[in-house]
Amino acid sequence: MRFSLRLGSLVLSAVAFLGLQTSQAIAQGLATGEYKIGFITENTGPIAQAGQSFWAGAQLAAEEVKSTKYLGGSSILLEPKEAGSDAARSIQAMSQFIADRSIIATTCCILSPVAGALKPAVLSAKIPLVIYGATAAGLPELPWVYSVTILPGPKDTAAALKVSDALKPKSVVYILAADNDAFKGRMAATQKAMEAKGIATAGVVSVLTKDTDFTAAATQAMGLKPDMILVYTTQQAAAGSISALRDRGFTKTIVGNDVLSPDSIFKKMGPTVVGVPFPVSFSDTISDSPEAKAFVAAYQAKVHAAPDIYSAQGYQMVWLIAQGLKSITGTPTRETLGAALEKIEKFDHQVYGGEFMKEGQAQTTGTIVVNWTAEGKLVPWTPPK
Amino acid sequence: MELFIEQLINGVALGSLYALFGLGFGIVFSTLGILNAAQGTYASWGAIVALNAADQWKLPFAASLLTGVVAAGLIALIVDQVAFQPLRKRGTSMLGALITSIACWIILDSLAGTATGHNSLSFPRGTYPSTMFHLGTIPLPAMQLITIAALLVVTLGLQLLTRHSRLGSAMRAVGWDQTAASIGGVNPRYVVVITAFLAGATSGFAGVLGGITTQNVSFMLGEGLMLKGFAAVVVGGYDDVRGTALAGVALGVLEVLTSQYLSSGLRDGITYSLLLIFLLVRPRGLFGSLNFSRA
Repeated sequence: MRFSLRLGSLVLSAVAFLGLQTSQAIAQGLATGEYKIGFITENTGPIAQAGQSFWAGAQLAAEEVKSTKYLGGSSILLEPKEAGSDAARSIQAMSQFIADRSIIATTCCILSPVAGALKPAVLSAKIPLVIYGATAAGLPELPWVYSVTILPGPKDTAAALKVSDALKPKSVVYILAADNDAFKGRMAATQKAMEAKGIATAGVVSVLTKDTDFTAAATQAMGLKPDMILVYTTQQAAAGSISALRDRGFTKTIVGNDVLSPDSIFKKMGPTVVGVPFPVSFSDTISDSPEAKAFVAAYQAKVHAAPDIYSAQGYQMVWLIAQGLKSITGTPTRETLGAALEKIEKFDHQVYGGEFMKEGQAQTTGTIVVNWTAEGKLVPWTPPK
Repeated sequence: MELFIEQLINGVALGSLYALFGLGFGIVFSTLGILNAAQGTYASWGAIVALNAADQWKLPFAASLLTGVVAAGLIALIVDQVAFQPLRKRGTSMLGALITSIACWIILDSLAGTATGHNSLSFPRGTYPSTMFHLGTIPLPAMQLITIAALLVVTLGLQLLTRHSRLGSAMRAVGWDQTAASIGGVNPRYVVVITAFLAGATSGFAGVLGGITTQNVSFMLGEGLMLKGFAAVVVGGYDDVRGTALAGVALGVLEVLTSQYLSSGLRDGITYSLLLIFLLVRPRGLFGSLNFSRA
């Protein structure tokens, strides 16, 4: 009896030990904690309109990661430092994030030059950076730098060709932000594709992103007598150029770009932007995947405004980092998070539909060409009758 | 030729804004002896208040314009009495006033950013004249004509005020020497108050018209006008209304024609090169009699 008791105890101990090991193996995963993302915000400054949308989208995603227990008991905390789209202030903020070891990843940048300026510091400090707005190609560098911005270049070209196929212009004029390399590259790609189709370039009218008066540029563009004008500039310059063209009586087609998609642009420009075709990768009224619809509803409930492309990118940025964290076992470090992000090919949680990561760059399939209606709704663009 | 004339009109209209702003800037410098870095914010605030008057309070164009102009004048007056008057009492140098004005600029700029939500807003269509007139085949937007007319009226008014009125004589006397002006029976405080209001109102006028014509009402509106207005004052002469008006218009024309026939990238370079040349070669400007004193 004594023997059997001892044997029983041994068996029980062995079973208990095995059980403990098994349960430990099951429980393995991300160590519970609050993980901080250093967020270089652009809630003030010349493009604060977009910056505030990125911030609101990111905040919503961080709340959802916590409320849905996507990371078990862990959560993501956004640690903001304002830079106002200024390169020097952004570098200063990044230096502070690098020095703060509780920051596990960083995110920034609407302007490509600012993102480019931060890159060397990030690569040298070996901290993951997810870019949420800059549109220049070639910014990602594995395993440290990623971009959730859907590159607009191919979409610009596709939109220009779609509109041209329908309207058959003979010559076009490009209005270009001459001090922005990303837009120069986007315009050059479209110009090449258009010329390959036999559509002549009547001229390129240069403006600067900080310009406020576009009357002279509009006069210059109209003086070239094009059948169509394509605008490759940042938001305020695009709004100013299109308004000046319409005010001066240009009634032919103007093709814009994705900067025209936020609601605030329709509120600012009103009838002058109605009917102007432009490509988007996300629209709260057109994107119809279940994730997109859920995002729109949640955003409206939180912010009391419709989400735009920028809020979608901010939202996507937090979910990408959360997905990287989820795949890590134990306590994550900047190094393990960088390695985890590098392995992501497909988004667990996405709002665009058909989104994937390729060499650190988010991409989607398909292009939606839309325009604003007089009622302030985005609808798929159709050629005027 | 048609394109040249169109761009010339565009240049004159743009230059009229610079000149209008420069007039306010020049009055402050020649009368109060302040190189006021906050002057641009009066333009921003004038436009912001006028936009609210048009959009929220539904005032007609003229009333909105007047509201913006008066608001900018009052802000300038408050800034002067709160920030500059204590310095004047202590006899602080121009450098002290310049540093104080930079602080005022930053504060008013931040407040303007908050007031607009850091967004670029615009006057809703229908709240300002948008008729397009035609001179043959050349289009003439109503707002361009209004801007040019505004410059002519303000220039004439200020010229009459400063050169042919008792108040103008008092302003020039105070600008020359406040103590001597007091001995001569001029009340410097009264002149300072009137001058500060006039300068703010003039810059506010430029801000409202600029906000409408460029479809851009934001905290950054005044910054662009500030640099160009300063250039107009330097080139035209600090104490000469006609010089500032002419120089402002010339700068606008130069900018537009440079963009049209050379390159938009050279535009600002040419403007500021001109500014530098005048500061080095003829610091009193085309028509002015006042010089910057060297430190």
